[in-house]
Amino acid sequence: MLRFWMEKTWVQVLALSALVAAGAVYWGFFFDFGYDFQWSVLYTPNPTYGMIFGLELVKGLGVTLVISLWSSGIALALGMFFGLGRLSSFGPLRWTSTAYVEFFRNTPLLVQLFFWYFALPQALPEAVKQWMFSQNFEMFCAVAGLSMYTGSFLAEVIRAGLQSIPKGLLEAAYSSGLSYVQVLTRIILPLAFRQIIPPLGSELLNNMKNSSLAMVVGVAELTWQSQQVESLTFRGFEATTAATVLYLATSLAISALMNAVNRKLKVAPTGPRPLAERILDAAIRPLSWVVRTAARPLAWRTVRRRMRGQAGLRYSKAGALWRRMLGLANKALVLSGKAAFLGALCLVVYKVGLGLAGFDWSVVAGNLRALLVWRFPNGSPNELFWGLGGLSYSLLMALIAISVSFFIGLAVGVGRTSRNLVLRIPSICYIEFIRGNPLIIVIFWVYFFIPVVTGAYLDVFWSATVALTAFTGAYLAEIVRAGIENIPGGQWEAAYSTGLSTLQTLRRIVLPQALKQMIPAIVGQFIAIFKDTSLAYVIGVLELTFVAQGLNNRLMVHPFEIYTTVAALYFAFCYIMSRLARRLELKLTPEATRLVM
Amino acid sequence: MKSWKVLTLALALVLCYAMAAHAGAAYDNVMKTKVLRAGIMTDSIPGAYYNDKGEWVGFDVDIAEEIAKRLGCKLERVAVNNKTRIAFVQQGRIDISVANMTHKRERDKSIDFSITYFFDGQKILAKKGEFKSLKDFVGKKVATMQGTTSELNVKNLLKNLGDADFAKNVISFQKESECFQALQNGRVSGWSTDSTILLGYAAKEPGKWELVGDFFSDEPYGIGLPQDDSALRDAVNFAIQDMWVDGAYMKIYNKWYGPDTPYSFPMTAKIEMWP
Repeated sequence: MLRFWMEKTWVQVLALSALVAAGAVYWGFFFDFGYDFQWSVLYTPNPTYGMIFGLELVKGLGVTLVISLWSSGIALALGMFFGLGRLSSFGPLRWTSTAYVEFFRNTPLLVQLFFWYFALPQALPEAVKQWMFSQNFEMFCAVAGLSMYTGSFLAEVIRAGLQSIPKGLLEAAYSSGLSYVQVLTRIILPLAFRQIIPPLGSELLNNMKNSSLAMVVGVAELTWQSQQVESLTFRGFEATTAATVLYLATSLAISALMNAVNRKLKVAPTGPRPLAERILDAAIRPLSWVVRTAARPLAWRTVRRRMRGQAGLRYSKAGALWRRMLGLANKALVLSGKAAFLGALCLVVYKVGLGLAGFDWSVVAGNLRALLVWRFPNGSPNELFWGLGGLSYSLLMALIAISVSFFIGLAVGVGRTSRNLVLRIPSICYIEFIRGNPLIIVIFWVYFFIPVVTGAYLDVFWSATVALTAFTGAYLAEIVRAGIENIPGGQWEAAYSTGLSTLQTLRRIVLPQALKQMIPAIVGQFIAIFKDTSLAYVIGVLELTFVAQGLNNRLMVHPFEIYTTVAALYFAFCYIMSRLARRLELKLTPEATRLVM
Repeated sequence: MKSWKVLTLALALVLCYAMAAHAGAAYDNVMKTKVLRAGIMTDSIPGAYYNDKGEWVGFDVDIAEEIAKRLGCKLERVAVNNKTRIAFVQQGRIDISVANMTHKRERDKSIDFSITYFFDGQKILAKKGEFKSLKDFVGKKVATMQGTTSELNVKNLLKNLGDADFAKNVISFQKESECFQALQNGRVSGWSTDSTILLGYAAKEPGKWELVGDFFSDEPYGIGLPQDDSALRDAVNFAIQDMWVDGAYMKIYNKWYGPDTPYSFPMTAKIEMWP
């Protein structure tokens, strides 16, 4: 009887509205927040400081967008170079690209930013250092750090896209006499980019959210501005809500834009044209008109060149000599390029080796125990887990987060695929709200403001863990949804026609298959969480980055040693886990990965 | 599958075990539970910091312990930073905030303060011999911490000294250690905050740093207390005055700021006394 009614759309809408209304009435009229909301602080000019804080937040958003655009552009260039480098036949280039990708993917962005801002200047010669400081050094570090980090992820995405091109296409292109550059620009890249756009879009979105970390090096972007508003007016709830809304709006706009770009690249797009695509079309129409009119005379020139070229197929002696000289010059150029690259690589390795040899390793050895377990088991009475901290704390947070968020992700992911609006709309809201915001904002919400709403306070460790769990739950929900939607529709139909209900089908037929496919993605998510535990630094959890900063603060003269050790510890763990993921992938889907060409 | 269920249930229970506390009128709560929750900093030397052995020590720590003893309660230490030391008192997460916090009228609108328990002022720390007076900092970059009175004061100082780009030249970091690192690697020419914090960090590299100029702003420290809780405020004020009378205060003071410590800061004022 209930099932009959719940299947009707209007009943679902009614139930959802009733729940929302009940919540609004309770939180709005009956619950005593113990906090005086003053939304006017955002749009009225403040008498003490003479500024409108809403405008300051928008200025912060502007800085965020500037950082994101610059770092996206540079990261794309880096990603293309290193993505192609990973597929190169030239050994040293391949190894360098692999080293770059593995190193920057497996260390947290926060540690990388600290390295750029605090450790790098000490390695530069004085004149260069002073010149850099006279520019906007904070912005430079933020953009450089973000570019290198996102570039490594983009390199992997581009490499995967390139490797998805059928090999036969490559062979046909080479056998019709096209050069490497021609094959790349005319055949491979246009096809590959069509495949790459969705994961590229999500990496660029992550890049925008990661720009919130620039606040630790003093860049006045959106998160920094919201903290500034809070410290000047003590209206933290209002400031963080405004920042959340701005981030959410920006994320949704970027997602819509990437979807529109994706649709434009499709050969035969289906369905009605969404609004975002119409806006994109209108925006680039003047540019495309300019490109077309400018290219018209060029097209004619190409036709004439081709006609001339065909006439020149019969070689004179001079023509043949000229072609042979061109060929030799080309080979010499490539060879000298390779030699130069090798030389530069040797120089860099030598310099790094010198630097490492000059380290004061006794500092590291003496403090390694603190970095690994802080004061365990001799902690003070008001420390959790008998004074545990450092690397083990990070691991513990990551473990708890991934285990509990697995079930949250499962429930929300299944809810997202349901046809029942009462399940689907809240799931969509949860996923979009969490994924549209940087992790720092989620941590701030859980630590500062959930207690205002629920009246219960959590210790920093539990706040960070709950925030990580909620954050990962949203990402896992998307993985679960992708896994479920990947199962062929025929399985569902067969299950229904044998009389199984939706829940039974999910439990016995769809989920077992989907979960098996999802496991590599889940391990990948675990690696991401482990790196994200470094963000708990901002609320003062004694995890590895915080302990390292405290040590650095105390020792003062060995930043390179400390940061290198921290980076090495993160790298070691993440690299081991990614190897494990690779092995799992091989074991679980042998047919997809052992394809020999 | 069964072991998975058990494991997850266990982990979910672990998550629930998370220490939760509920808000209540502060003084009644403190007297009922006999636990005084104090918010203390972790990065101010020698106010409150982690020493070589990883212990949480400092002047503020000792003051908080003494106050708790005189109130007949056990001290529960809660780590706070520049942002949270006021927010937590407002939310009722901590009862008192002993966090080198300047008593300012703007702050007094949100929380209450005890009588002044430490008398400090603001100066600028720079490389020894580089700057003669505060005027030399016009056009140079200065570091400070976001959300502190130091940030506002140094911006006003530079504006009054005639620096046109005072907003861009003051870089606001999250923590004291970041400010000092920026000073060390030359990113900024000076770091401005309370002089005792500057002395604490300068003592790590003796002879290399110096305080420039006179105090350009007074920083009387007060203990942060919940708004409109007279009973708690009276209890804390009486405790501080009792400490002054029987010498416990000066003993703690000399332990951290006495003549034979690296952060020597002679006591020139007196605690406000009511007989």
